Amino acid sequence: MIELKNIYKVFNAGTVNEMRLFNGFSFDVKAGEFVSIVGSNGSGKTTLLNIISGSIPINGGSVYLNGMDITEMSEHIRARKIGRVFQDPSVGTVPSMTILENLSLAENKGKPYSLGLAVNRRKCEMFRETVLKLGLGLEDKMDIPVGLLSGGQRQALSMIMSTMTPIDVLLLDEHTAALDPRTAETIMQLTDEIVKKNRLTVVMVTHNLRYAVEYGNRLIMMDKGQIVLHKNAEEKKETSVDDILHIFNDISIECGN
Amino acid sequence: MLFYATTLDGLQMGLCFAVLALGVYISYSILDFPDLSVDGTFPLGGVVCTILMLKAGVPAILATALSFFAGFMAGVVTGVLHVKLKVSNLLSGIIVMTALLSVTLALTKLLTRNGQTTSIFSYRSESLDGLFGGKLFSSHGSGVKDYIVLGVLLVIVIAIKLLIDLFLKTKLGYMLKATGDNERLVVSLGKDPGMYKILGLAVANGFSAVSGALYSHLFMQYDNTSGSGKVVLALASVIIGITVFSRIRFIKDTTAVIFGAAVYSLCLNYLVLVDTNGIYLKLLNAVLFTLILVFNDRMNAVISGKTKMKRRVRR
Repeated sequence: MIELKNIYKVFNAGTVNEMRLFNGFSFDVKAGEFVSIVGSNGSGKTTLLNIISGSIPINGGSVYLNGMDITEMSEHIRARKIGRVFQDPSVGTVPSMTILENLSLAENKGKPYSLGLAVNRRKCEMFRETVLKLGLGLEDKMDIPVGLLSGGQRQALSMIMSTMTPIDVLLLDEHTAALDPRTAETIMQLTDEIVKKNRLTVVMVTHNLRYAVEYGNRLIMMDKGQIVLHKNAEEKKETSVDDILHIFNDISIECGN
Repeated sequence: MLFYATTLDGLQMGLCFAVLALGVYISYSILDFPDLSVDGTFPLGGVVCTILMLKAGVPAILATALSFFAGFMAGVVTGVLHVKLKVSNLLSGIIVMTALLSVTLALTKLLTRNGQTTSIFSYRSESLDGLFGGKLFSSHGSGVKDYIVLGVLLVIVIAIKLLIDLFLKTKLGYMLKATGDNERLVVSLGKDPGMYKILGLAVANGFSAVSGALYSHLFMQYDNTSGSGKVVLALASVIIGITVFSRIRFIKDTTAVIFGAAVYSLCLNYLVLVDTNGIYLKLLNAVLFTLILVFNDRMNAVISGKTKMKRRVRR
C-alpha cells in the first residue's frame, strides 16, 4: 500500500545544526495493516508521516502509494487518498463553522467545490445520526461553531471528517496526545471502530505505549531515524507494555537521558 | 442645514464605500489577508468605468459592472504574487498598489483629447452623464435628486450584499471561509488553499473597483488620487461593522459591514465640518482608526473575559 524506498532527509542542511535524520530509510505498509509507531522525541516518527503525506520535501528516495510513484505529488493531491488526524484537535476542523457545515464540507471531498449550496438539508438527518453514534451529545449542537466544542469532541469530529469519504490510508499523528485519559480512550475506541468498519490501512504515531500494544497488528519503535524494533502481528500478541517500556528505557539511557 | 447636507453626502459616500468594505470583508475577515492593493484597484475601477463610457459608449450601469473584472485581474496578480511567488501578504498588496498608480495614470491618457495624462477628469467636460447625471436625476429638484441617488446606491449595495451572502453559502464559499480559518483542513480535503486565496483576493478587488466606479459617478469626475487611504477606510468600516453591529442578533456580518461603512463615512464627513480646509483630514482619519482598533480590542477582551481570543466572526 505505502512504500518508502531509500529515503534521505536532512534538516538545516549546510548549517551547524545540520541533522541527517533519514539515511537510506526504507519502510512499507501492506494493505489492511494497522501500524503503531513509538519512539522518543526526535526519532523521526512525525517526519515519517510528513513524508508519506507530502507535507515536507525529501532529499532523496521515493514514495509509492498503491504502486504509484507519488514522490513529486503535492500534499493536497495526495490528501485525496490519504486521510490524516493531527495531535491538535483544532487542525482537523474549521473552528468558525458549525458541526453541520464542517461535516458538509468533509462529505463533499473528492467532488468539486462549486457554486452549489454547501449544506444539503436532506443530509442533515444522516449527519445527526453519525454524531449520535459518538455518544458525545453533539447531535443537539449541530448549529454550534466547532470552535466552542471541547478538544475531545473536536477530535472525534476530526476522525469522522477525515474518514467520511473513501481513502486508502489513514495517518494518525499522536491524535490522542492532547486529550485527557478518558477522552483519549474514547477516541482510540472510535478510531478502532472506524478502521475496522472501513478496512483502512493505518499508520499511527503515539506516545502511549499501551495503545501501541493494544491496537493495530504491527508495532515499530524508531530511534534516530531508524527502526530499532519491529513486531509483526503474531509477535505483537505476545508483547506486553512492560517489554516495550524496557526497550524504550534502554534506548533513552544509551542516549544519555 | 449644513449638517443636514453633510449627513446626506456622508450617507451617499458611505454606501459607495460599503461596496469596497464588502470586498475587504472577503479578503480581511474571511481570508484573514490584509490586502493593500485595494488602494490601487479603487481608482482602477473608476478609470476603467469612465473609459468604457467615454470611448465605447457603454451604458453607465454596465460599465460599472464591467469594472469589476479590472479589479478582479489586479486581485489575481496580488494573489499570484503571494501564493505562487511567496511574497508576504502585505508586500504583495503594496507591489500591486504601486504598480496600479502608473497603470491608472497611463489609462487617463485615453480620457483627454490631447492624449496627455490628467489627475482629474470631469464628466461635465465631455458632457458624460455617468450613473447619476441622467434625466431621471436632473428632472427633479436637487433635494429630491439626492434621495434618488441614495436610493439607487442602496439598491446596488443590497444587491451586492445578497450576492455575497449567497456566495458564502455555496461549497466554494465554504472553502473560502475554511481557507481563512484553517488552511490545513483545505489541504486535507484535497484542495489547494492557494487557489482559494487568489480567487478571494480577485473577488475582493473586483468589488473595490466597482466601489471606485460608483465613487466616480457620484462626484461626476475621475480622480486619479482617489485611492489613497482606502485601505484604512475599508478596514475601519469592516472592524466597526463586525465589532459593533455584528453583536446585534439577526444582523449578518455583511449587513454589519454596510452599517460600518456608513458610520465611518459620516464620521469623516463631520470631521470636514471641523477641519474645513481638509489639511488634517488624513491625520484625523488615522486617529479615528486607532480609536476604533483600541475599542475593538477592549470589546473583545470584555466579551471573552479578558482572555485572548481570535477575532470573533459570526456568520
